[in-house]
Amino acid sequence: MNLIRRYCLSLCMLTLGIAMSVAAHAQAAAPAAAPAAAPPPSAAELKDTAAKAPTTADLAKGDPGGSLTGTVGDVPVSDTKTGLTLGDTANQVGQNKVAINFVWTLVTGFLVMFMQAGFAMVEAGLCRVKNANHTYMMNFFVYGCGLLAYWLIGFAIQMGGAAGNSNLGGLQPLNTEHPISLFGKTWGIFGQNGMFLSGHTYDVGVMVIFLFEMVFMDTALTIVTGACAERWKFLTFAVSSVLMGAFTYPLFGNWAWGAGWLSQLGSNVGLGKGYCDFAGSGVVHAVGGLTGLAVALIVGPRIGKYNRDGSPNAIIGHDISAVLIGCFILAFGWFGFNPGSTLGASANGNLRIGSIAVNTMLAGCTGTFGAILYMWALKGKPDASMSGNGLLAGLVAITAPSGFVNTVGAAIIGLVAGVLVCLSCAFVESVMKVDDPVGAISVHGTNGLWGVLSVGLFADGTSNYGGSWNGVTGSVTGLFYGDASQLAAQLVGISTLLGFVFTFSFLLNLVLEFFIGHRVSAETEIAGLDIPEMGQLGYPEFVFREEAGNFTEVPAAAVA
Amino acid sequence: MAANTGQGRGFVTFLVGFTVTCAGLYLSNKLLLGVGLIVVLVSLFQFLKLKPLEGKTAQGPSPIVMKLLGAFLAALGWGITLFGIHLTGGTSGRIVLALVGIGVSLFGMIYVLPAAFNKNAIWKA
Repeated sequence: MNLIRRYCLSLCMLTLGIAMSVAAHAQAAAPAAAPAAAPPPSAAELKDTAAKAPTTADLAKGDPGGSLTGTVGDVPVSDTKTGLTLGDTANQVGQNKVAINFVWTLVTGFLVMFMQAGFAMVEAGLCRVKNANHTYMMNFFVYGCGLLAYWLIGFAIQMGGAAGNSNLGGLQPLNTEHPISLFGKTWGIFGQNGMFLSGHTYDVGVMVIFLFEMVFMDTALTIVTGACAERWKFLTFAVSSVLMGAFTYPLFGNWAWGAGWLSQLGSNVGLGKGYCDFAGSGVVHAVGGLTGLAVALIVGPRIGKYNRDGSPNAIIGHDISAVLIGCFILAFGWFGFNPGSTLGASANGNLRIGSIAVNTMLAGCTGTFGAILYMWALKGKPDASMSGNGLLAGLVAITAPSGFVNTVGAAIIGLVAGVLVCLSCAFVESVMKVDDPVGAISVHGTNGLWGVLSVGLFADGTSNYGGSWNGVTGSVTGLFYGDASQLAAQLVGISTLLGFVFTFSFLLNLVLEFFIGHRVSAETEIAGLDIPEMGQLGYPEFVFREEAGNFTEVPAAAVA
Repeated sequence: MAANTGQGRGFVTFLVGFTVTCAGLYLSNKLLLGVGLIVVLVSLFQFLKLKPLEGKTAQGPSPIVMKLLGAFLAALGWGITLFGIHLTGGTSGRIVLALVGIGVSLFGMIYVLPAAFNKNAIWKA
């Protein structure tokens, strides 16, 4: 019996060994067994295929299975006499690629546009009820102010020299970047084509990129309204927003995305792949957050925010449900923000959209965890508004690296952002003594900068958007994956955000302070801005409490 | 005084001037550009005329020199970073100089400027 059992065992092992060796051999031999590339179809084959297309009679019977709809019969023929040619087929393939990318870019742009609703809810919810109408109106009107300014001149400054994107058909009308020569190199400073979207820029591809870039610009503008809520004069807000949409945002946008000098750091001075900001942690969020800081400094803190000893009072918003629903709307819109920034779903490595979407999800999740756990463990309560800010901070931080990092990197970036937003809010409020009612400076400014930095650390070198980025061959790779020069490029970007964007915004708004004045009168501020500035209350049937009642009774420990 | 028809008209003037300025740029028409800029300036002076009617704001005076110093430091940091790119070819050197530049900018932004604005802050009174 023993002998038979041993024999059977040996037989089994032998069979297993043979099977494994056959499998290994098959794997090794697989490339050699690959079939040779099929020859291109001949004209006769094309005609034959066209002849087999379903007839109108077939289609009239209905196509419940979907096998008859969308066949060779749907490919347009340029000359009916010659019938379907290889050229017709190739043209249709090219148009399909661009069409897929147009639809992708437009639909994700629509999602980003809807983020305005999320911002409006978050900001208004975090403000007192007496300022609800004013806060909602700022978020509403910023869309118009920004769009007008961007159409007039902003788009031309940002994207006027951004030709060459094959995803959207080349965008060749946008081919004029104003350069300067410095240290023997040519650097792009601002674009010139596209004012009023007229002339050669009356083009299908240009319209698509305009819509997508416009909604990004408007996101940056609406960040400022949060930092200055509850005391910003509506007129000054409107003028400031027009100027930001016309100049501040487009200039930095050009340098990063429009063939400007930051994107040329790689090709000109060998800094990685140049400044890399996939979807705009820097271009959109840091620009908005830093402009918010500049204006919040000028406009000053709300009455009652600080005590005589400089200690802050937490002024509680009127609608936490609006805040959290707004955060979810923003998180939803972010699936347009980040995956949409491929500017296409077909060709050039764009199938990475799934990875980008998952990175976005993950960072938002870990950002929420970071903020909730920080507040709960160190301050005693899982503060709702800070949880919402944690979600947004994670999303802001992953915006720049979303196209370049793996899921572990995304999770770490989001987690750091969630903690960072709590620390930054406390710093801005208690140390700098800058009043930011919604935490916009910390969520968008601080975490926008963290997002830019994280590209230089976590980019894993696996992305391949057409084989190069910013004109430098290869994939974006950060310090942790072996390329320190990318970190240097990101630091130059951060320095530009701090040194140029902040200073430019500050000086621009200082001029407006001289001519218009940023702040409403103390009388208006105490009464609430709804009636004096907007003419009606946000919630006419609400009964206001005494002013003192609007300040929190929650101990300072519960708020960062 | 808050929002009023004067502000509304001023904003309309500003938008018209801004649009005409952009049209002048687009068409390379100096006359249009000049007219547009003048209209923008007119709107700004309209705003300036309305400003005192706003009423007293809850802000104390802040030293302008300190504010400009803060802005200058923020810009100086950027200059250091840009200069650093060309000063050295090595990545480490560029990183160090960029960090120095960022530090200088941050000093201006988060120390000098808040100190300027909070010097005579209303909540201190």
